[in-house]
Amino acid sequence: MNRRTALGFGFLAPALLVVILFFLAPVVLTVFFAFTNMSTSTGIRGGEYLLNQSILRSIPEDAISTETRNTLENAGYQVNDQGLAKLAETVSPATADELRSLHGGARFDSRRDMERALKDLRENRIRSTRDRKAAADLFNTSILNTRYNTEDAFRAALAGTNVPVGDHDALTSFAYTGWSWTTENMKLLFSLDSSYRYAANTALYVALTLAFNVGFGLFLAISTFYLPPVLASTFRTIWFLPRILPPVLYVLMWKWFTWDTGFLATMTGYLGIAPRNWMLDTATNAWVFVVLINGCVGASLGMILFSSAIKAIPTSMLYASEVDGASRWQQVRYIILPQLRWPILFTTSYQTLSLLTSFEYILLSTEGGPGRATEVWALAAYHTALSNYGGNLQYGLGAAYALILVVIGIIASLLYLRFFNFKELVSKPRIEQ
Amino acid sequence: MKSNFKSWPVIVVLTLVSLPLLIMFTFQLVDTFTNPIPGSIWPESFTVEHWRFLWEEPELGRSSIWVVTWNTFVFAATTAVAVTTISLTAAYALSRLNFPARRFFLGGLIILHAFPTITLIIAIFLILQFLGLYNSLIGVILVKSALELPFGIWIMKGFYDTVPWEIEMAGVQDGASRFTVWWKLVLPQVQPGLSALLIFSFLSGWSEFVLPLVLAPGNEAQVLSTYLSALILDDTKPDFNLFKSVGMFYAIPVIAIYLIFQKKLMNIYGGGSKG
Repeated sequence: MNRRTALGFGFLAPALLVVILFFLAPVVLTVFFAFTNMSTSTGIRGGEYLLNQSILRSIPEDAISTETRNTLENAGYQVNDQGLAKLAETVSPATADELRSLHGGARFDSRRDMERALKDLRENRIRSTRDRKAAADLFNTSILNTRYNTEDAFRAALAGTNVPVGDHDALTSFAYTGWSWTTENMKLLFSLDSSYRYAANTALYVALTLAFNVGFGLFLAISTFYLPPVLASTFRTIWFLPRILPPVLYVLMWKWFTWDTGFLATMTGYLGIAPRNWMLDTATNAWVFVVLINGCVGASLGMILFSSAIKAIPTSMLYASEVDGASRWQQVRYIILPQLRWPILFTTSYQTLSLLTSFEYILLSTEGGPGRATEVWALAAYHTALSNYGGNLQYGLGAAYALILVVIGIIASLLYLRFFNFKELVSKPRIEQ
Repeated sequence: MKSNFKSWPVIVVLTLVSLPLLIMFTFQLVDTFTNPIPGSIWPESFTVEHWRFLWEEPELGRSSIWVVTWNTFVFAATTAVAVTTISLTAAYALSRLNFPARRFFLGGLIILHAFPTITLIIAIFLILQFLGLYNSLIGVILVKSALELPFGIWIMKGFYDTVPWEIEMAGVQDGASRFTVWWKLVLPQVQPGLSALLIFSFLSGWSEFVLPLVLAPGNEAQVLSTYLSALILDDTKPDFNLFKSVGMFYAIPVIAIYLIFQKKLMNIYGGGSKG
């Protein structure tokens, strides 16, 4: 590696590091997470191994034998050497000795019996209830209600019981509380009716908003082009604001506009219509406002791009058409629009991808409501994995939703690369040849 | 342009379609300083009580507005500096330096620039949990800078591309190293782009909502956008005058910066920014 190459990579290194950590890793991990059943209840690190009464009851009838069930549930307490050694350590050697001589090797079915044995020691009786409970635990041979951090620890504990070896594997898999690999998410995604509903919602949302963005952006750009400069810049400022205002504030203004004590309700109130929340009243209204709220922001961008493209049209063309007696409509149709073909194509392709994946304004305005009427795919991913009322966040399923969008995003970006004038972009540096 | 067409129909139509926005902007401004006639929306009397959140003790369980504002500033400023610094070097390498796999990196940049980053939010959320950066300002700053980076490099590359080769050739001819040429000759040439990117990333960080909402929902790392949205969601009986005042407080820097640096920013807004 020569010095010039080193400089190139040195300059690129910080950006590469960040890109690998926050672009490549998340893309790979989205695939990875989409095939796990990670959720709030499984946690995101490896899980523990735990058996208790309720887990035992949830295991299907034929998965493990009845003998195993009974052994696990009635393991009870046994006065063995291991327990005695610990007792000698924690309480006193004398207590341990006395217990050995009275009950050495004895079995007790319940904790009460074990505690009674400890209470009834003649010389060294353990008086405090708490100490007795702790001492009784030393002789517990049941593995129920104990958490094991690793599979090996759990299997070792199982081996110490009388559970038939044939059931060990089944028990281990049922006892696992962490996440595991699965293809269920994908199956679920394609079998749920709601998935198709969200996909349809997304298609509707993208189509309507895009039409509004491009159509209205064009209208704003062309109409302000024909106005005197002061008026034109006034209107452009009004329509530029939705784009620069923070989204939370911008949507707040719309919320006020449509609230049941807001502007629309007050105005319609004069006509004798009962006040209502115009945004969340019906599904149709919600759609109208979702499209308007997103559309005004998009039209803002369209207006800027189209305006600068129109300015680039040679004025002589327009003057010439004027002399020939062209109407304004003919000017727009035959001179301006043909010149705007590329900006329109660019805006359309760019915003399709952006609308497909963005959910910020919908989250802020309707949150997918009323019901699930305006829930789009990206919002569904967010709701599944990051925020829902149930509280059990399903990271795996959410990642599966997101994976579809990531795949679409990668394909679309690759297409973008193809249509771009790539050759010009990679023209060689002129100093080092 | 002067023509034989009449302008007034266009003005009438434009005014009509702009009316909803105009009404919203007007009331957004007026409502922060007035009380309405009870039961209606029309302003009645002047008051500053809607701005009491600035000087009163915050309610229990809510952060002080000044702490939140400071967080927002730190978040936006750090992000802006990080994005600009990294973009400055990376864009120069991509624009002017020759090194192996340059084509590959340029293609990668276009893909990253077009790629909808918000789809990665679930994976990023889990990564931050693994790294222990969840619910901290540092985590959100890192993520926001990273996601803004392809755009920053893209913009800076555009500025570097317009710098005449002759300047660098002359520098190299006189015996300066490539690094010195970049530092002393090229950087001053792209200074307008540098400041535009700095301002743009600051505004972008200041307005960001989804990232802090998902990655740092706790009270310690709260920023103004999540503060305002929590305020709106919490209230059972919405006090829009208060919301609007907090919103106004939040938006004043954005509007001020935009008014001051309008010309510089147009370089970026016109340059095919993210939709």
